[in-house]
Amino acid sequence: MSEICIEFNNVSKSYKDLLALDHISFTIQKGDIFGYIGPNGAGKTTTIKIIVGLITDFEGKVSIFGNNVPINRKNLHNLIGYHPQEAGFQEWRTIDHAFKSFGRLSGLKSNHLENRIIEILDLIGLTDFRYKKIVHLSGGMLQKLRLGQALLHQPKILVLDEPLSGLDPMSRFQFKGVIKELAKKGITILFSSHILNDVQDIANRIGILNEGKIMKIGSPEELQSSFHIGNLIEITVAENTSLCEGLEDFNEVDQVEKIKDNKQLIYLKSNIDIDICISKIMNAVLEQRCRVRSLTLLNPSLEEVYLKYVGGGFK
Amino acid sequence: MSLSLLFLDELKGYAKSKVMTVLWFGLPFLSFLIHFLQPNTEGLPISLLVGLVVSSIGGTLSGIMLSTSIVSEKNRHVYELFLIRPVKRSSLLLAKFLAVYLCLVIAIIISITFGVIIDEFTVGLSEDLLRATIESLIISTASMAITCSIGIFFGVLVSSVPVAAILSVYLGSQLSSIILLPTFFMEGLNPVILALILGISITFIIMTINVYLFSRKQF
Repeated sequence: MSEICIEFNNVSKSYKDLLALDHISFTIQKGDIFGYIGPNGAGKTTTIKIIVGLITDFEGKVSIFGNNVPINRKNLHNLIGYHPQEAGFQEWRTIDHAFKSFGRLSGLKSNHLENRIIEILDLIGLTDFRYKKIVHLSGGMLQKLRLGQALLHQPKILVLDEPLSGLDPMSRFQFKGVIKELAKKGITILFSSHILNDVQDIANRIGILNEGKIMKIGSPEELQSSFHIGNLIEITVAENTSLCEGLEDFNEVDQVEKIKDNKQLIYLKSNIDIDICISKIMNAVLEQRCRVRSLTLLNPSLEEVYLKYVGGGFK
Repeated sequence: MSLSLLFLDELKGYAKSKVMTVLWFGLPFLSFLIHFLQPNTEGLPISLLVGLVVSSIGGTLSGIMLSTSIVSEKNRHVYELFLIRPVKRSSLLLAKFLAVYLCLVIAIIISITFGVIIDEFTVGLSEDLLRATIESLIISTASMAITCSIGIFFGVLVSSVPVAAILSVYLGSQLSSIILLPTFFMEGLNPVILALILGISITFIIMTINVYLFSRKQF
């Protein structure tokens, strides 16, 4: 069994009358890439700020590698690297100067710091811009800089708040590559994002947060298969031939919908044996001599799962 | 440890800023111009004139610079990257205060030194003039410490850059003159000693309030 890295146990946090987190509980295992998704104001940043120690007044129990929060700031910082959502930099600094200042404040010694700066600049692709002033950097470069400062002190956990927002497609691709590389090196990663495809690309576990509550946690596959929409079959027949009839009479079938002249959707009931149901449908298709081109068990996209849990609905 | 690192960082930042260029070079130059182009300064020696100009305008500028930079950095979430590290919140404010204050003192020393040199070659440097200059310097630096701490106060308290600037201009420089008020009402008080005592104690009190308010901020 892998080691628990971050544990939230019944944690709540309010801002005056607003309940930002409502008794949330979850764990992140060592080595996870945990994608944290939810709409604006769901409580993602509040969760993240509790982990990194910027919010200390909350109810419930939070532990990092078994140590209950609040943890001594130096010890906590040694464990965690934090990429804030919108943190700015003092613009008169160069990238080199910013890294040196943050590195020293993180407790790195000169020789080691210089090596780390070279490694990090190479990793995030900013080596050629080392002495460029921050005021002249693009939004994408600033995101990379935020990631770089989080990695300087070689943390065991990387907490990334919306790291992919504002990046162009190429930068997003590179950024995701960097995150995957870091995960391969054994760093546990928690990242929040609105871009569901990116979460699906990177995360091995996903938590869906809405209105301060954890709606669902699991691997992308678990989330998709646990959703009732997984029990949906699409049958396509050849043009100008008849669709299969009488399928709605099966006990396992909830509803049949014709979506085109040669295509129908079969909504199945929950808690049925999907294999038995599929064989029944195939028998019916064969008996009626339907000219079937495809019969597909549909899985919902992460976006559909997300919309289901955050109240966006699903057809 | 973190205070010295932050102080050196801030010093580097402020020393490179345009405001400090104005303070270090622009204001003394302006004072010389006023003195030579407008000789009707009631016989005020140039060393005193530049001291007055730099301390009044410089103090106000520094107050504005501190308040607006803190508000701007708060709004841009600059402090998050510091506060996740083992850095005390008090160190962030103290480093800013000390860096700006040191830059100001350097500006005044540069200005007055040039003033004294010019006075030596023009009107001749008397012992009385030298003493008056030094007294003026001490009172000015005490007053500027209060202006700077009030600038930080408004920087921590408000969230709008223009509001912080306006409050610093109108209240910062006015409140800093408090150190001279007792000498108008009580005879026999040494204005220099009084300025030093009041300057240090008022600055200390305001900075303590600043640190308290800053430590309660949610980032």
